[in-house]
This record gives sequence, structure tokens and C-alpha cells, in this order.
Amino acid sequence: MPASAATDPGEVSDIDLVKRSQAGDTRAFDTLVTKYRGRIYAMTYHLIQNETEAWDLAQEAFIKAWRALPNFKLDAAFYTWLYRIAHNVTYDWLRKKKIQGDGEFDDERTEHRAAVGAETAPRGDAAPDTALRNAEVGQRIQAAIARLSPEHRQVIVLREVEGLAYEEIAAMVPCSLGTVMSRLFYARKKLQELLKDVYETTL
Amino acid sequence: MKPPSENHELIRWLDGEMNAAERAAFEAQLAQDPALNREALEMQALSEGIRAHLPKEMVVPYGDFFNSQIQVRLAQMEVEEGARSSRFSASTVWQWLRQPWFAVAGAAAIAVISFLTLARDGHQADSQILSSYTPSAQVQARTFHDSDAQATVLMLDGLDAVPADRKVSGLNVHHSQTETEIAATSLYDASGSRLLTISRDSGGNPFFWQTSPRG
Amino acid sequence: MKWPHPVLFSLVICPWVIAQDAAPSGAGTLPVAKPATEGKVWGALIFATDDAAQLTGSQEKPPASLPKLNERLSKVFSFKHFEILGQHQQDIFREYESWVVPSRDLFLKIDSKGPADQGGVNLHLQVWREQQVLVKSEAVLRPGSPLFIGGPKWKNGRLIFVLSLEQK
Repeated sequence: MPASAATDPGEVSDIDLVKRSQAGDTRAFDTLVTKYRGRIYAMTYHLIQNETEAWDLAQEAFIKAWRALPNFKLDAAFYTWLYRIAHNVTYDWLRKKKIQGDGEFDDERTEHRAAVGAETAPRGDAAPDTALRNAEVGQRIQAAIARLSPEHRQVIVLREVEGLAYEEIAAMVPCSLGTVMSRLFYARKKLQELLKDVYETTL
Repeated sequence: MKPPSENHELIRWLDGEMNAAERAAFEAQLAQDPALNREALEMQALSEGIRAHLPKEMVVPYGDFFNSQIQVRLAQMEVEEGARSSRFSASTVWQWLRQPWFAVAGAAAIAVISFLTLARDGHQADSQILSSYTPSAQVQARTFHDSDAQATVLMLDGLDAVPADRKVSGLNVHHSQTETEIAATSLYDASGSRLLTISRDSGGNPFFWQTSPRG
Repeated sequence: MKWPHPVLFSLVICPWVIAQDAAPSGAGTLPVAKPATEGKVWGALIFATDDAAQLTGSQEKPPASLPKLNERLSKVFSFKHFEILGQHQQDIFREYESWVVPSRDLFLKIDSKGPADQGGVNLHLQVWREQQVLVKSEAVLRPGSPLFIGGPKWKNGRLIFVLSLEQK
């Protein structure tokens, strides 16, 4: 599970801040927001790929966490608990978007785009500037992840960004271990197709 | 297109989910199967690329405003919950007002908020603006309730004027129809003619589809 | 200006828009199940000016639920004349975004955040000016208590957006 950030000596611990928040101390909760907003926002951003929506969803997660704080047991890490709330808020939003049918999550439809992209960036087209190429690769990866279905994007973010083990992903989604492996496999195959011109040249 | 066959062994190896014996057996298999080995190396490179380019932590744009808006919404919840909640005291509510994030944060202009007094007036509840955020630093939002007008006002100052020669035209929308499957709303006039269709583009911005000419 | 996803355009929206134009009043359009709503709003773009010569001649009237609108506007905005340039009554969907577009020049995106205590509805509002979002607000909109949004200046006057929740 995502662990809480290392605590500096002298820094108030999460447990203290959570206890004070549970007693209604909004300043303590504000400190928790400041401490974890960057990580929660990164997760919502990677899943949503839209700055405005990710910002709103990260906020929504903290507000839901505040509402749920009376039920939070101090036997788990606060960040792990918060992350689960943020994940659920974001994934619900993604599901809703998928129902609205924006089309952007349709893996089959985006295959066509990948093929077009491959034509415009032929293999072996070496970029002399490594930093530029690195930035381009980053953009290509972001764009490719944006093309994944919510289910595939979710497991990629949980595995590659948060570093969760399969069992932890299965608990978070929730789904079976077999489904986690299956989704990871197909998500990576899809990314391989979308980024074919990037990674075939690097090997 | 026929989907590729799933290979759970491959991704378990990649993700370090194998025990030592399983790992040794799979790596022996890799050594004997160049195609599988290449597939494994490609997936490994992909994973490393993703990890390198997707940061675990990002700077939240307008971080101070992010915090302050959360606090405002918590305050709103508290006001609305009223006596049902014992987690706040009156002094706690006003504690927010002393927080540094009530100052203007960075380039974002912030309007905070007269909702506490509005909600405590006791008469029939009015509309409220709980918080506002203007992406442009040149634009300021302020809000107040005007009891003479029986209206809540959100005043946007600092906007660029609309050029005088621009023809600002209105639409008189009689009814609309939202097609949820494609997230598009069409607006019609009283005669049933479509005025326009609005949806969002790939960047999330509104996009208008003009009425096509008809013969 | 950004364009929609090209595949979305070619496969979905373009044929759908053509179908809408061909049969605007309903016959032959895609079957529509009306989504759940939180209520209706009336949105209008108002032109406020002291110079009667600049009025466009629009004859639109506010709904009966919003009496004495011009008089009320004049309490906040010090102009002599207020003219409704465009108006739009729109359902606020519970699970989908809603657009209130009395004009292409100034319009709103609304997301419902559910019913409010003491009546009304919690909303997330975005005021758009073409492709630019001017302000994002969290608001509670209640019947009989309109929201006046003071917008940009135009021709020595000012554009104002009025948003009002209709009684259920």
C-alpha cells in the first residue's frame, strides 16, 4: 500500500494531526492537506489527464476524507486510507465519463490513432537532443496512457506510479488477482502498440 | 484484430511477483526463447519509461487556493449541519478566517466569501457563492448579497472589454436535448430549428457545432 | 481553437449533428432517455447601458418567477436600461454536465453537487467566454434568489449573466 511520507524529526505526526482533525481542528486537517495534496493530485492527474478536473477531484477527495474522518481507525496509515478515498472518487468520475461516451477511452478506436502516429514518427528517426527526446517520450507516454480505458489506466497507475503489489491492487480496484494480471498484461500490450516507435528503437 | 494471448508469467516476472524458484525457471525460459526475451525487454523498457515520466508527486496549481477552498467547503458543511454536529464550535468557524490562505494566493484571484453571515441571517435562505476562482490573475471575483435586489452577486472585475464593434448576439432557446451517449446538447428555438450543439473538445473545452445550412 | 478528437468527430459527432439537422424536432433522432434532473434554471445574457440608442431591440421577457428583474438589476448595476439579449431554460442533470447558453459569447457549464439544505441545489459553476473560463465557483442556488454575474464591459455598458433556479 502507499506508505505515508517520511516524517521529519520535530514534524507533527500524522496520528497527531488525524486525532486533532477528528476533534474538529481544521488547522490540523489543513496541514494534512498540504502534506499530501501533491501525491493525491498526481494520482488524479495521471488517471484523468486533465488539470482542471484532476484539481477538482483531488479537492473532492479531501472533503470526503474530512467527512469520513470520524470513522477512520488509527490502525492504518492515514495516507493509505486517503489514497483509497481519492482513488474511488476519481475512478467513479472516470466511469461516469465512460458512460457519457466521450470516446477517448475506447481502446479499439485509439488503435487507429496509434497507427497514424507511427507513420508520422518513423523508426530510426534519431533525435540528436537527448533532453528534447526525453521530453517527447514523456509526452508520448502521457498521451498513450490517456488513450487507455479507465480499467487499464487504473492498474497501470496503481502498479507503475504507486508501486502497489498485485494483492494491493486487487483490494483497491477491487477485483481478483487474475483480473489484475490480465488488465496489466493488456494495458501494457496496448501501450506497446501505441509507443511502438519509441521503444523498438531503444532496444 | 485477434487479441494477444495473455502471459501472466511474463508480467509477474516483470513486476517482481515471482518467488526465487519461479524466477529462475522463467529466466531459463527467456534464455531459450529469443522472441519471449525480446518481448520481456520491451515491456521492461516500457515500465521503466512510465515510472520515469509519471511522477508520484506533483505541484498542485494554486496550492493555497486549493487548501482555502477545501476549508470554505468544510465551513459550509458545518453551517448547514448546524446543531447536528458537535465537532465544531463557533470559535472554530472563525478560526478559518485567521488562516494565511485567506490572503490572495499567487496569481489566482480569490473571492472569499460572505456565506457565513448570509446563512445565519435566519430568513428564507438565499443563493450563495461559496468560493470563486479566477484562472486569470487580471480578473478578480467578489461576491455579496444585495437585499434590495434580492439577489446574490458575483462581480467579475478586470475582464477585457468586449470590442465595441463585436456583435454580441443572444440565443432564445425554447428547448434543448442532451444526448448523453455522446455528451452533446442541442439547443432549439420555438420553431424547432436547431440553434447550435455544444459538446466538449479533446482538451475539455466547450465546442459549438453551428447549424448546417439547409436547402 | 482546439478541435474535437478527430475520431470522435468523424465517427460520432459529425453524423449525429447531421442527423439532428435533418430532423430537429425529434422524428428520426437517436432515442433519448431523459436523465435524472435536480431542477431547472433560467439563464439570460443581459446588456446594461445608459444609452438607449445602443439597445438591440430584443423583446425577450424574464420568466414570471423572476418579477421586476430590471428594477432589481438596477439596484446592483448603475445603468438605466437592461435588455435581455438571449435566454435559455435548462434542466440541471444529476449525473451529467449541463450547459446554459443564452449566447455564444458568455455561457455557463453547471455540474450538480446535489440538493442543498434549506432548499435549492449545490452547484459547481463555470462561466465561459468563448474558449476561456472566466471563473469557477461553488454555489448554492435557491428559488427566488437569482445570481447576478457582472461580466465584461461592452459599448459603454456591461454584459450581465442572470441565473435563476425555477420552482419545482
